[in-house]
Amino acid sequence: MSTAAAGTIDHHHDPTTSTGIPNKKLLMWAFLASDCMFFGCLISTHLIYRLHPPPGTPSAKSVFSIELTSFSTFILLMSSLMMALAVNAIQKGNLKSMRWSLLTTIFFGCIFLGCQVFEFNNFVNEKHLTITNSILGTTFFTLTGTHGLHVLIGVIWLSGMLIYSFTGRLTEKQAIDVESMGLYWHFVDIVWIVIFTAVYLLEYI
Amino acid sequence: MFFVQIAMLLAVITGLELVTVYLPFMKWLLVTVLVVLSTVKFMFVIFYFMHLRWDKAFCTILFFIGLVLAGGTMWALLKLFGADASKPLSAAMIEQPAAVTRLA
Repeated sequence: MSTAAAGTIDHHHDPTTSTGIPNKKLLMWAFLASDCMFFGCLISTHLIYRLHPPPGTPSAKSVFSIELTSFSTFILLMSSLMMALAVNAIQKGNLKSMRWSLLTTIFFGCIFLGCQVFEFNNFVNEKHLTITNSILGTTFFTLTGTHGLHVLIGVIWLSGMLIYSFTGRLTEKQAIDVESMGLYWHFVDIVWIVIFTAVYLLEYI
Repeated sequence: MFFVQIAMLLAVITGLELVTVYLPFMKWLLVTVLVVLSTVKFMFVIFYFMHLRWDKAFCTILFFIGLVLAGGTMWALLKLFGADASKPLSAAMIEQPAAVTRLA
């Protein structure tokens, strides 16, 4: 048996549904598939305007800070690890371990948001790049801002789940609720993996 | 420990990506390496952290429908707007016809 499926309850299959997949998980995967298309369009828009930057567009390389973005990427990867550990813990009925993992995930999520606020503030006040004064600013802030909003929603959801775990109603049987939330959080991470390469790293080549 | 090993691998790949952008090689090669590395990270997260490896295949199919549609849309848009005919007119080129009209 796999590491993730080591508990007594089979968390990956549900014989009571026609698909054999828990309905909440199916709903989340369908939502994530649609969100892929949403982010795909935002990333394409940014890349198209980078292909043919209009006259007067500032150089992205002179604006971006690769050190800060790399740190943010590392933090988000670690938050994904903690989320995976939280799901693993609740599937084994280890509520205490799940709480600590959730708390760490929230902490990393907040650090990521803090880095993004610092980056936006730096771009606007130091580099004079705003959402209205250039195409680069418009596409960049729209894309990374939308991703940041997803992270914020994730942090609120995680915090709600952490508080809910203290009511005593969250047990191994409700692990699917934590797993669905985990799917959302990991999705935020994979979107950032694409943004980090397509928006940031490609500018340095 | 299994998930920790995956996370360490992802961190190492991120480090490799960072090193790659500073290597003095041809642009197409560096872009290919970056795309491959980020795809590997993406796949590790969805198949291990998101448990697709252990879930029913339908979850993978459902997600990949969205992913393929998104990838196809991105590819089509980049091809369309990457063509020479799609290059935006510069300010001078936009103003030129107006100046000609005034002279006539």
